[in-house]
Amino acid sequence: MTQPAIITCDRVTKSFPSEYGFVKWLRHRGRLPRRVALEDVSLQIRARSLFGLLGPNGAGKTTMLKLLATLSLPDRGGIVVDGVDASGSPDAVKARIGLCTSEERSFYYRLTGRENLEFFGALAGLRGTQRAARIAHVAELVDLTGSLDRRFAGYSSGMRVRLALARALLADPDILLLDEPTRGVDPIHADAVRRLMREELVQRRGKTVVLTTNLLEEAWAVCDEVAILSEGRLVAQGSPPDLNRRIGGRVRYAITFDRPSEQLVQQVRRLEGVLQAHALGPSAETMTVELMAGGRTLTHVLAMVTQNGTTVLGVRPLDDGLLDLFRAPRPEAPQ
Amino acid sequence: MSATTQALARSARWSGDLAKVAAIFMRDARLAISYPMSFWLGWISIAGQVLAFYFMSKLVGPSKAFGFGGHETSYFDYVVVNLAFVEFQTVAIQSFQRAIRSDQMLGTLEAVLATPTGLPLIVLSSGLWAFALTVVQVAVYLGVASLLGLNLTHTNLSTALAFLLLTVACMSPVGVLSAASIMTFKQLGPTNWVANGLAMLLGGVLFPVSKLPVALQYVSWILPITHALNGIRGAVHGATLAQLAPDAMWMAACAVLLLPVSLVAFARAVRRAKKDGTLGHY
Repeated sequence: MTQPAIITCDRVTKSFPSEYGFVKWLRHRGRLPRRVALEDVSLQIRARSLFGLLGPNGAGKTTMLKLLATLSLPDRGGIVVDGVDASGSPDAVKARIGLCTSEERSFYYRLTGRENLEFFGALAGLRGTQRAARIAHVAELVDLTGSLDRRFAGYSSGMRVRLALARALLADPDILLLDEPTRGVDPIHADAVRRLMREELVQRRGKTVVLTTNLLEEAWAVCDEVAILSEGRLVAQGSPPDLNRRIGGRVRYAITFDRPSEQLVQQVRRLEGVLQAHALGPSAETMTVELMAGGRTLTHVLAMVTQNGTTVLGVRPLDDGLLDLFRAPRPEAPQ
Repeated sequence: MSATTQALARSARWSGDLAKVAAIFMRDARLAISYPMSFWLGWISIAGQVLAFYFMSKLVGPSKAFGFGGHETSYFDYVVVNLAFVEFQTVAIQSFQRAIRSDQMLGTLEAVLATPTGLPLIVLSSGLWAFALTVVQVAVYLGVASLLGLNLTHTNLSTALAFLLLTVACMSPVGVLSAASIMTFKQLGPTNWVANGLAMLLGGVLFPVSKLPVALQYVSWILPITHALNGIRGAVHGATLAQLAPDAMWMAACAVLLLPVSLVAFARAVRRAKKDGTLGHY
């Protein structure tokens, strides 16, 4: 059953001053020039879903997350979170969300992980034994139980991100805003974080997760729906299969095998449904193929590769077709 | 909603807010103690300062100008009490701006403001540890001075406490205004040294206000610190709050006027930072 929207953004525009400082403020007679970070963005995020905000660096993903967290105010447009107007009642919105920032510098370096969580837990309204129990639980979820009593200054980048995730989960909010929660995290823990978001938070606990990422594969692997931002504009929104169809019914894979052969690549290129095939690497140990989506072409390609004894070491989907969506025209700043 | 339910909700909110205040106090205490050298040097400097004024006061004889109500008092008694009390002005002005600046520099400001905690609670609680520490340090300061001859036997404690609270209430808004300026301009302003300079020159910290030219005496009268010091010196000599009513009323008026203004200014500064996207800047 389709869930109702729990977050609605209606034609949100946000700009920032492109220059700062009192002298510049005087020079511009109190009206500093502004740079558009988000322009006319409308989104509806369904409850109990994992929603991805995808886009290259500077696309406006973090700006959107900060607007949802009421840490920033829109120039125009409205944001409603769980029925609450974000501009009118920011404290009510904050009580419903957990924010995981991508900033490493968001904890007290001289305090331990536990002391940091005790402090932020108290500000989130947790007290006494309930707070201690929640800290133990979230630390276990992000695999930091053994490191909680170390000073934050001694944490690695990945541990800092995981502690930020633990902080977001602390008050058990219904909505989680996660800003690149796998950035700087090793592959094992990144995979654990993705499973935590998908299986534990959304599927088992019924939370709504808004995830920002610039990793196409990550968004495609875990999100129910994805919005692609490019230079402040919403350029596409839909489920990953929907977006695949929108990019022209093409899919791309990288196939790695143990016996490099340029001849094999040429044979694959002649198969029906294969649009392109290229050898990659110093000895052609990887081949990229672009195929018509929806058929059995990948199966035929793999069968051809393996029929002469070649072993396939890996098949990785590439979503490069989406890169075109990233390259949207830059919105012009208002004069 | 029934009156009982409303009262319960209000009580729960109060107790929740108190828990948040305690958490902010505990955070600041832990951070201060995590720098042991700086923490303990503060205590050692207290003894050094008292000793310096003890020897300096040997150059100046007792005078009625140092006393209260025509009593002759030593310069040591005069200056030590003034310097102890001016610490409360310093901490009231510094603690809020330092707390905000520190959160800006550490990058924790956004994380703190992302919690469902009211802005006034965050700002006002951030000075609590510094105030508590100053109370203890001033007590030690006066204790050391007592060993060197400071006479506190006639002190009216309730009057002293009233002036302590009035000083904090009167000076804290100046600190909150400074914090608002830090939120906007991202650097420490000159508030502290201006306030301290005015106190030293015009507030009667190092010498009696009566020694100033008449025109400057009028300027001095406007400053809350002048009334705070007059009040505490009176309390040390056993004066009641009624005897010091003009000083107390002036300070209360300043507090009532400045506190809401400062909180509104801070809220506007935060709103401006949210508009400009500079909340996390430093």
